[in-house]
Amino acid sequence: MNLFDMLNSHQLSQPSNTVMELVHLNEKTKERDLVLTPDDAKTLMLSRNKILRDHARVELSIGVLKELIEVFSASPYMNRDHYVDTLNDLQEIFYYLRNETEDKIGDAKLIQQMNDYYNGPCGGSIELLRSKMEELAEKFRGDITLHHSLFEGYE
Amino acid sequence: MKFDKKPNYSNPISPITIEQSRLKRNQYLLSLLQEGQRLGLITSQRAYQIQLEMMQILQQLIQQHTQGESTSVSSETAQGLMTSLMYAIDTYTLLFETPEEAIAHLQDENMKDIYSKGVELLRHYFEEAKQLYRDVKKMKLDVPVDAYQMTIDESLPVFMKHYDIIFEAQNTMASIDYPLAIDDMRLRGVFYIKQYLERLQLETRFCRFFHQQDVMYMLTNFGNINRINYQIELFNIFELMINNAVFSLLSGGEATDVRISEIQFEQINQMLTASPANQRTKLIHEAVDQLQEDLQTDQALTDYINLYRDELVQRVSNAAEVGSFEKLIIREVNEREKSMVFKVNENDRMSDLQMRNFVDRILESDSTEEKVQLIRRHVVSLHDYLDLLNAECLFNGEYEALFATFGDVELAILAKIVFYEELREDKRDFSDIVAVGAETETEWEVHYIAFMQQLDDTHIRAVGDLMYEINYEDISFY
Repeated sequence: MNLFDMLNSHQLSQPSNTVMELVHLNEKTKERDLVLTPDDAKTLMLSRNKILRDHARVELSIGVLKELIEVFSASPYMNRDHYVDTLNDLQEIFYYLRNETEDKIGDAKLIQQMNDYYNGPCGGSIELLRSKMEELAEKFRGDITLHHSLFEGYE
Repeated sequence: MKFDKKPNYSNPISPITIEQSRLKRNQYLLSLLQEGQRLGLITSQRAYQIQLEMMQILQQLIQQHTQGESTSVSSETAQGLMTSLMYAIDTYTLLFETPEEAIAHLQDENMKDIYSKGVELLRHYFEEAKQLYRDVKKMKLDVPVDAYQMTIDESLPVFMKHYDIIFEAQNTMASIDYPLAIDDMRLRGVFYIKQYLERLQLETRFCRFFHQQDVMYMLTNFGNINRINYQIELFNIFELMINNAVFSLLSGGEATDVRISEIQFEQINQMLTASPANQRTKLIHEAVDQLQEDLQTDQALTDYINLYRDELVQRVSNAAEVGSFEKLIIREVNEREKSMVFKVNENDRMSDLQMRNFVDRILESDSTEEKVQLIRRHVVSLHDYLDLLNAECLFNGEYEALFATFGDVELAILAKIVFYEELREDKRDFSDIVAVGAETETEWEVHYIAFMQQLDDTHIRAVGDLMYEINYEDISFY
């Protein structure tokens, strides 16, 4: 049995449980008229699994998706019509950033940074957010390279 | 592999047996689950449950690894953590005498408990490895063999410092250069290092049966016979010593006397060449038995020597087939009186700053004659000459002009360096080696070869004769 197949074929909880975990978050978000149907939750999960595979990452819980929902549901730019699509885009941007920042920034800080840009300079535009986050990743890589070259200089 | 910490168990064991050959040492749990399911010793439900429990442990490991900062990791990291986890579980399951016993435990025990026991065992083995390392370090041979010294002084400490039982238990970490006589490279992590140290300790203990000057004598002659600088080569010292001890016994000498005379060499050569294969094998085995008895080797060393027996038999057999024991039996060759001894004195070297300034001075000069004179006046040590040549501050004809001022001794020393690979195990005359040249991209070496090739035969022969009188250890240019 291939080890990686084994990793990806398992979820710690049953799919129905993860869907229910997401639907339960409606309790917190319904005040803002943001609710997920079980089908929405399934779509988000399928999308998450594909994004993880595309970005060669493994996550055995749905902590990131839950955090994205909790943080972004408070945004004045989030609306019911684009709720699921926006969450999918946010997942994609998050895992892209996670790889690009070489796991050096924690989940919460990364999500907070995305949220600050989304609500601030991006004015709720996912396209602008994507572009800003690409700039952030580039700056991060530049700083890492600088750090490495400085470090090597001292050796 | 035997383990000394066997757990108590009382689980019922199935009468169905698993073929050991179907199990993999490095993926023991996975192969156990596959075989267990195939033979009906373990249900697919339990196998699924085991995997689920392992995922839970993996999730904890991911949390620990990211220090709670992230719930996801790259696939590469996840695979590394999973391999580490399975290494610990394998460590525990491999403790059982039979795979059936291991399966019985997998049926009943919680994977978290099994994992914890595996980690505890790894800690225990790591402590054992550390103790072994301390012992090896204490008893280390005083020989100028770089690979041996660096493995003990530099590579093994890297493992001792960085081995990570939780996140990278399967990783051997250190890059080990010194080759053992018998090594099992299939092992990984602490198992490999522990076995390496156990065997290195046995080999070192064996070498300590001999006088220090005899070990040095063997190394020097091994280098001379093979025309190599033994100090920088990868070879095993134990093999050299045990081979000659066995040959000594075969020719009526003592087990501890590894110095083989020309007469003994001829005697062994005739005896082994004339004997049919089975007789040869018998002779070697008898001599090895005798060796173990004479040296009163303890059980561990006796077992290790037994592992090496077949290797020695094979080597003797190969040598007999090609009719040459020249390389296998390190013998006492009558050393010719040396006409010169070249000493390289570290104190004669320039400082780095002096060398940089000197190179600048050479580069500033535009007269070949002036450059050559400057060099001959200011450079005395071989190290400085090599630094200077490698600094590429000379151009085309300037190299030839410099070489033309060298005596045969200097040219011979450079020949040892430039033709190192060709001189090693090459029976050609030096003139032929020069004529064919050597593969090199180093500028000064290319010019040196061209310079040598235009000398007349008598001159080349004279340089060649001098060259064979110079030992590599006398011109340690590294």
